[in-house]
Amino acid sequence: MTSLEERPQSATTELIDEELAADLAGAALALARRYHAGATLWVLSPRWEPHAHHVAVEFVHPVIMGKRALPAFALTGQDIVAEARLAVRAGDVVLAVAAADEPVARDVLRRAPAWGAETFWIGFGDRPDPGSADHVLWVDSADPMVPSTGRFVLMYHLLWELTHVCFEHPGLLTPAAEDCTDEVCVTCRDEGRLAEVTTPPGEPFGTAWVRTADGEEEVDVTLLGDVAAGDLVLVHAGTALTRLEEVS
Amino acid sequence: MSDFLYPFIEGQETDATGLLADLASSARRKAAESAALQASTLAELHDAIHACGEAMARRFLDGGRLYTFGNGGSSTDAATLAALFAQPADGRPLPAWSLTADQAVVTALGNDVGFDLIFSRQVIAHSRPADIAIALSTSGNSDDLIMGLREARKRGLLTVGFAGYDGGRMAELAAAGDLDWVFTVRSQSIHRIQESQARIGHRLWTVTQHRLTELRTGPGQPMTTATTVKGAS
Repeated sequence: MTSLEERPQSATTELIDEELAADLAGAALALARRYHAGATLWVLSPRWEPHAHHVAVEFVHPVIMGKRALPAFALTGQDIVAEARLAVRAGDVVLAVAAADEPVARDVLRRAPAWGAETFWIGFGDRPDPGSADHVLWVDSADPMVPSTGRFVLMYHLLWELTHVCFEHPGLLTPAAEDCTDEVCVTCRDEGRLAEVTTPPGEPFGTAWVRTADGEEEVDVTLLGDVAAGDLVLVHAGTALTRLEEVS
Repeated sequence: MSDFLYPFIEGQETDATGLLADLASSARRKAAESAALQASTLAELHDAIHACGEAMARRFLDGGRLYTFGNGGSSTDAATLAALFAQPADGRPLPAWSLTADQAVVTALGNDVGFDLIFSRQVIAHSRPADIAIALSTSGNSDDLIMGLREARKRGLLTVGFAGYDGGRMAELAAAGDLDWVFTVRSQSIHRIQESQARIGHRLWTVTQHRLTELRTGPGQPMTTATTVKGAS
């Protein structure tokens, strides 16, 4: 028969294996910590928009009485990159429900670190490149029907359920102080921070304004030659060192 | 476990590690519950889903359209179901819409005639007797869904309700012969109910695609392949 033949999926089908369960646990704690610090969740699913709306309504209007209502929005416009750029503030969270080759999701997620956002990616089939998102929650199946069979719904239901469990552990909602005070701290050391050009230089050899996780700043771009608004660059000590080309 | 790597944060790390382990095992347990519920639901409803899918295929062949509707998360699942019929990754696209897709219509009806009528008034405006109405609910009780299904039934549509818990008013309607099909997921958890309902919707779609092909070519004939359908559309 053809691919329309019903695929058997018995009770023994393992929907969440050990590795994915660990990924979900880490993602839930990270999301709870961001929410605890005042984050808003921004959700996009260019190909399966209803999933973006479902995630948003989960957090905004919890199915369990007494759980906190949390800020979450679905991004569904014609230009989701521009919409996200305006909407996302430092400390926010961006969640994509999309395949690894979805161009809009890829573009938003590669820019999000320059906006100061932590990134989550739910999808199926081929995995995104390592480092494409802070948290990758993946259904390792190439079945094109995965988005319609409740696998994503289960994933974000569990993410919501586990995130709310974390709120019952207030002592763990603030990352350990050691992470950021030591002089060898890797996360805070100024070694090539991601930045998005907001205003290119007005004159040759002028400076450009860029946006980083820390806010807007003026940087020297003479090493790069022409830069345009929206370019992603690595900044170190007030200088843009390299431009990140789009990966095709 | 990894204490030898990070001895200086042992105190903090131990606490978070415990929580993360609990979260992971909780995720596994809930996923196993969901899988078991999906399997028992599809087994219990097997014959009904096949009969309903057959009826849906006949209506599509008669030029019928599918309207899906629900509230909240179920409205998004209804939209996912409509998209599965209208834009399947595989198979023959069929005319299907979600009745929450148009904010102008939903807010106009909600404001002017009342929220309970947001679906029934759309059924009155859009539908013809050959059409199909599928309402998704976890309780089976929502007034706007019940009103929509009643109106659809009155107009000769094929009427289908997805419910949870004990089926609620949808089950009562079906028992009284005022609803063609009710598919009840026997659970008390809204999340687990919705996950099983996604499987019911997908199975209905699968059966509908099968029957459509068989009704056209006769049983025993080779099925039209997905590529042929796509190429012809």
